Amino acid sequence: MERNEGAVNLSQFNRILRQVFLLPVIALLLTAGALYWQIQGANATVNLIQESDARITQATLVSKLLVDEESGLRGYETTGDIRFLQPYLDAQDHLKKEFQKLTDVAGSDPEQVSYIADLQDKQQTWHDAFAVPLIATVRAGGRTSDVELNLHGKDLMDEIRKDVGSIIHVAEQHRAERIAHWHRQVHTMLGALLVLALGIGVLIGLFTRSRLHAVSDAYSTSLDVLRRRAEEIFQSEQRLRTTLASIGDGVITCDADGRVQMMNPVARGLTGWTQDEAQGRPLEHVFHIVHETTRELVENPVAKVKRLDNVVDLANHTVLIRKDGTELNIADSGAPIRDQSGATTGIVLVFRDITMERKTQDALLANEKLAVAGRLAATIAHEIHNPLDSVSNLLYLMRNGATPEESRQFMDMAEQELARVTQISRAMLGLYRESKAPVLVDLREMLQEILLLMERRFSDLGVTLTTSLPSNLSVAAFPAELRQVFTNLITNAAEAAGRGGEVRVSVSPYPGNSAGSQKMPEGAEVVISDNGPGISEDVLSHLFQPFFTTKGEQGTGLGLWVSRGIVNKHGGIIELTSDTTDASHGTAVRVFLATNPTINAGGD
Amino acid sequence: MAQESHLVLCVDDELVGLRVRKLLLERAGYRVLTAPSGLEGLEIFQTEPVEAVVLDYSMPGMHGGEVASRMRQTKPEVPILLLSAYIGLPAEVISLVDLYMTKGEGAPILLGKLESLFQPVHARSGNGAERGGRESKSIQ
Repeated sequence: MERNEGAVNLSQFNRILRQVFLLPVIALLLTAGALYWQIQGANATVNLIQESDARITQATLVSKLLVDEESGLRGYETTGDIRFLQPYLDAQDHLKKEFQKLTDVAGSDPEQVSYIADLQDKQQTWHDAFAVPLIATVRAGGRTSDVELNLHGKDLMDEIRKDVGSIIHVAEQHRAERIAHWHRQVHTMLGALLVLALGIGVLIGLFTRSRLHAVSDAYSTSLDVLRRRAEEIFQSEQRLRTTLASIGDGVITCDADGRVQMMNPVARGLTGWTQDEAQGRPLEHVFHIVHETTRELVENPVAKVKRLDNVVDLANHTVLIRKDGTELNIADSGAPIRDQSGATTGIVLVFRDITMERKTQDALLANEKLAVAGRLAATIAHEIHNPLDSVSNLLYLMRNGATPEESRQFMDMAEQELARVTQISRAMLGLYRESKAPVLVDLREMLQEILLLMERRFSDLGVTLTTSLPSNLSVAAFPAELRQVFTNLITNAAEAAGRGGEVRVSVSPYPGNSAGSQKMPEGAEVVISDNGPGISEDVLSHLFQPFFTTKGEQGTGLGLWVSRGIVNKHGGIIELTSDTTDASHGTAVRVFLATNPTINAGGD
Repeated sequence: MAQESHLVLCVDDELVGLRVRKLLLERAGYRVLTAPSGLEGLEIFQTEPVEAVVLDYSMPGMHGGEVASRMRQTKPEVPILLLSAYIGLPAEVISLVDLYMTKGEGAPILLGKLESLFQPVHARSGNGAERGGRESKSIQ
């Protein structure tokens, strides 16, 4: 699958999921941290406020004790009764401790500490310089109503009160400031919280949105790609299906076990099986093939493809037995279907009906046989009409009064001429009459007969013939077919040689050899050569192809093709060499025939 | 039968056939000269006062058509009867000669045709046309 710019693979998708999960967690942790820090600040401020409160309370307590002290002293001064002095004494006891407390509460504030120290000094002064002497005076029963003295005491106490007032005032001021500070802090915190909440909310929203967009884009791209793929696959399948249906050959696909999966209409028509009937059946049931002549079962194409693991052309001369038992000549081939790893997952079998092709070929062969005879027709007509003419003239002479001596002479001549006709007629029939099995053919005899038939043609063409035909050289063959080959080759040679040319026909025994690359059995070699202009290279390569002719309307283009077919059938070899040089131009055809050949029933 | 002895030249490469034909014509009252090939036939044709020619078509070297055309060039008045073992001779060859026939048709026809060559023009043409017509039908 190709990477698409819009597509997201699984690991990218997981990363997006992690991001979308982690971002809010981190953002909330940061917010909580900020909040904690703010609250810590606010708490500190509250502690300071409480501190201020404690200071005010302590200062108020000290102030009350001072009042108690003064009122106790005044009561004692007025009454002289010691009981009135009790509050003074109590306050005196407490004050020391409470002053210490007040100092502790003041903490590190130097202004407050100095105020307190000052206050303590003044209280000590009031105590030492006014209260103690006054009490001593009262105890001694002295006069204490002195205005000057009392005014001095009052001044001292006023000073003390003023100090206490200032201390409380300062503390209250501090407290007010701290409360204001705390308020500001809370405000700031609220504001920050709001901004943070908004910011994080927006951030998370935007981030999540962008991530989701990416995912959704990727998803829609994937959907698009999938849709396109599906469409492409559908189209491709349609294309292949239509191709398969329109193809002129039968096509059968099988799975790896050789069970039929699909047959195109031609395959259904040729085998006679419908798709439903054939589906899942072993191929050999549906595609039942035997050898044309031996009737032996031909190797199952699936097995053959599997065995060779390659494209195979199946055996020649295969007959397909259809479902209804009728037969068709077919040509076929098989090929493995491979998956991406190269393993065979099925087999495709392509085959076609060659019955018509075979019949056409047979008709061509028969036609060529007739054409050979046709080319000899002139010779035959000449060779029969000339003796006939003589014989009929001789008969006329005898009928119209001839001496016995003359008659005997005429009869001898007539017999001679009739023998000629018989010979010609035999030679001609030899072209057609064919034995069922190969027979021993004397090559000298056969070639002489053929040359007799062609004598006239040679003289018409002005071609000189030389022969070298040793006797007692025979090969097993189908005589009519060999006659066809040699007639063909000798006619070609004579036509190539042309007026004034020469044709040489020779036969020689071939001892055979078992050494060398090509093992040759014992046999005979017939060489037919001419001294014509020769055949050029480009023509030479086409000579044995059907319908190739250099003779225009005069030729069928089948002569050499058929000749080679016949020689091959006889297990022989036909070779053509040609020379176009001025010095030694000419063409030679060599036909090797084995003495005891293995006849290939199928021919080519 | 010819009253006065006409001189006929027979040309054929078939020696037996030529010999028998000579005998046949001599028995019929003609004087006969023979030649085994076209070239020799032309030589005799030039030198002897030949009155008619019985010419074979198919001969090695020079075929009857060529021989006839050369004869026409030198003595166009001498009638020529062309014999052939083939059927289907080329039209230009047929138009060159006076009469033609296929070998093996028999001696009476040969003699009849040869005789017609010596008939006065009107009779010959009538006779010849009749026979020729039949022949040309069978030929074509």
